[in-house]
Amino acid sequence: MKSKILVILSCLVVSAMILTACGSSETAAETVSEPETVAESETEESSCPLPVEEGATIVFSGWGDDSEQQIYKDSIERFKEVCPSVTVDFQPIPDNFQDKLKAQMAGGTAPDVFYVDDQLMTAFASSGQLMALDDVMAQAGVSRDDFIPSLLTIFTLDGATYALPKDWSTLGLVYLPEAFADAGIDEPTDDWTWDDMREAALTINETGNYAGFCMGSDWARFAPFAFSNGGRYASDDFTTATLDTAAIKDMATFVTDMFNEGSLVRPADISASWCGEAIGKELVAMTLEGGWMVNTMNLTFPDVVWKTSLVPGGDVTRADVIFTNGIGVNAASEYPMASAAFAIYLTSAENQGEIVKTGFAYSTHPEQIDLIGNVNDKAIAEGGLLPDTLVAYWGPYTSKVNDAVSKALERIWLGDQTVDEAFAQAQAEAQTALNGE
Amino acid sequence: MKSINRSSQERKRVFASILTFAVIVFIIMLIAVMNAPTKGGPKVMETTQTYLAEVKKTAVPFLIGVGILSVILGIIAARTVYHVWSNPKKRNTLFTAYSFLSPYLLVTSLFTVGVILFAFYISFNKYDVFTEPVWIGLDNYKKAFMGFVDSTQKDFLQALYNVVWYSIIVVPLQTALAIGLAVLLNSRTKMRNFFRTIFYAPSVTSSVVITLIFVWLYLKGGFINGFLDKILTPLGVTYDPINWLGDPRGLFQLFGFEIKSAQWYLRGPSIAWMAIMFQNIFTTAPTFMIMFLAGLQDINPVLYEVAAIDGANSWQQFKNITLPLLRPIILLVVVLGTIGTLQVFDQVYLATQGGPLGTSLTPVYLIFREAMGSQGPINMGYASALAFILALIIFLLTFIQRRVLERGTEKY
Repeated sequence: MKSKILVILSCLVVSAMILTACGSSETAAETVSEPETVAESETEESSCPLPVEEGATIVFSGWGDDSEQQIYKDSIERFKEVCPSVTVDFQPIPDNFQDKLKAQMAGGTAPDVFYVDDQLMTAFASSGQLMALDDVMAQAGVSRDDFIPSLLTIFTLDGATYALPKDWSTLGLVYLPEAFADAGIDEPTDDWTWDDMREAALTINETGNYAGFCMGSDWARFAPFAFSNGGRYASDDFTTATLDTAAIKDMATFVTDMFNEGSLVRPADISASWCGEAIGKELVAMTLEGGWMVNTMNLTFPDVVWKTSLVPGGDVTRADVIFTNGIGVNAASEYPMASAAFAIYLTSAENQGEIVKTGFAYSTHPEQIDLIGNVNDKAIAEGGLLPDTLVAYWGPYTSKVNDAVSKALERIWLGDQTVDEAFAQAQAEAQTALNGE
Repeated sequence: MKSINRSSQERKRVFASILTFAVIVFIIMLIAVMNAPTKGGPKVMETTQTYLAEVKKTAVPFLIGVGILSVILGIIAARTVYHVWSNPKKRNTLFTAYSFLSPYLLVTSLFTVGVILFAFYISFNKYDVFTEPVWIGLDNYKKAFMGFVDSTQKDFLQALYNVVWYSIIVVPLQTALAIGLAVLLNSRTKMRNFFRTIFYAPSVTSSVVITLIFVWLYLKGGFINGFLDKILTPLGVTYDPINWLGDPRGLFQLFGFEIKSAQWYLRGPSIAWMAIMFQNIFTTAPTFMIMFLAGLQDINPVLYEVAAIDGANSWQQFKNITLPLLRPIILLVVVLGTIGTLQVFDQVYLATQGGPLGTSLTPVYLIFREAMGSQGPINMGYASALAFILALIIFLLTFIQRRVLERGTEKY
């Protein structure tokens, strides 16, 4: 009997040993890599933005296809020249980046430097997983004023900067000159208003050769309409939804009238998966799209002649919507200085100037807008510099607020609800979201 | 001599039960400590001390809860051991069984039971993975049903509503289709194995691949609309192509009822949702077909011969012999089908992301969305609460189905 008890006990002891062995080996590995001294910057690496840890190896992750990955591989090469003592290990995560990063962060295996969007900002900044960059920015001589001001709204929390904008895009009026010639009317100009756009869309639609204006029930495409009429989706302190205001509902009525008279079509109505494709297939004369159109048209529809102009203006002002992503640093990084140096370098005017030349993205430094090579791309980008242009960011619950707008438009166009009913419901939904309920 | 023997036996019993009690409590507490909520991150994991300090800081209520549970389980185990100890045969069986089971038990309790306990605890907290859980009592459970009073918080109710329709439509259809296919393939036809392979193919294929193919088929300019157009146009019907995966109109609206969007719960399943149902029936029916085929092989052919001699036609044979004898398998298929349909996720994630207008939102997709924080902050507490509510619903339904279907099962 005793021998059996011994067997059981030894089983337990062995399993306990296995468990402790796991723990201790990890601790050992940690202590080996622990002693890192911060070396003062030597004369040979004087151009490195920060005094970095000697022999640091940092991991960098972002989403993106092959061409985007190549842009960042090139950036890493350039970084190597200014900070030769830092090794950057690039680990792209093309799909489900946000989900993966959150899981990695919870498990303590997140990269040192990574892309940050509004979703990751919400998850990481308030919980202290992102490094506040203000001190290292001051040390490196980088100021928030170096960037296009509206871009930093997403990455700021309680006055601290948690990521630096790496690129941005916005919407422009994309059109087919052929459709305008066909209808015998003048092409859009930079002083167009929404009424001009509607009139042209109606005229073109009547020819029967092209649909007038393409737009899905999408908060982002509706944003320039709303913003240019003085509307906002939420108050500046992100506490109150402002969706049932006259400014918003007037423009919702405007697009709904266009939809009902047939001058506005949804992409699905003309068998396109999105409006950019509808332009490429020459199904529609006008739409609101961004800088990604350049690549799409070059690769998929190289023979189609297309142009862009500034987004049309409303009664109050002319305003566009900005989308942006940043580069952030893991607060738990083993090499905070090297990581911060890399983040600062990636978003510096020096590196952005190189990226802009490839036509991949716009520089986040306002003085570099002239570096945009493609004429169409440049016309789109100008919308981003309009004084009333906004980043559609309303705090942690941004996507719920935006979702409420998209669904309101969808319900109106289905004939389910009137504009008043739909936006009263959207207001209630958005307010619930902003209350954090 | 006998009395000394007895008292030493008694001492051993007491000693064994105390030892069992201590070991059970120790193991459960070890598992609890390893599963305790922490802020995570490499800094916490640096040394055992920092980890334990973090656990002490964030997880005292969790540890107390599991501690009470471990004492209860320990007492149960100790009582069992105490009663078994003096019977050598029972004792040997018990210890041999548990020593063989111990590696699996340890892993399961650490990575499954431990995690479930953790999730249950978290469901009473506000927890974003990175900061300390904050005890909020039943708020997460209340929030799930807030849709009854506040229409802006209807997500979970709508998700439940959708998946109930999904079960009501998918389970009977896929079961009927599976029986039909199985009966066909059980008859002596030519190339029977060929057809079995072909019919089973959709179940072998990954559901991700099938969903992506169906997304293409369902496009407004896609194959299904083209096919319907080809058929209907010669019949003189003008066919207006449907955006299958993007159409939120409900089943009852299609019959011409005017239903306001505030009464979304009267609309029935949307076109998009029914499109996903159709795809799911196509994918799962063959899996269950295999089970019915196995069941059909077990039916004694003599029964059919006797029935034929008595003059029963093939429909009567099917109705009075095949169906009653398949009853246990029908129960299994209906239960598995119901559980599967209530947990539908991948088709929604790939094809519609819960849209249009929330008509394809499902509880599991909602749990994923809240846990991952894809719309707002990470809300693990709420996600865990939803998961437990769903588990309870599935448990109740399975229980009811068993009672109803098992009642009339033929026994041979």
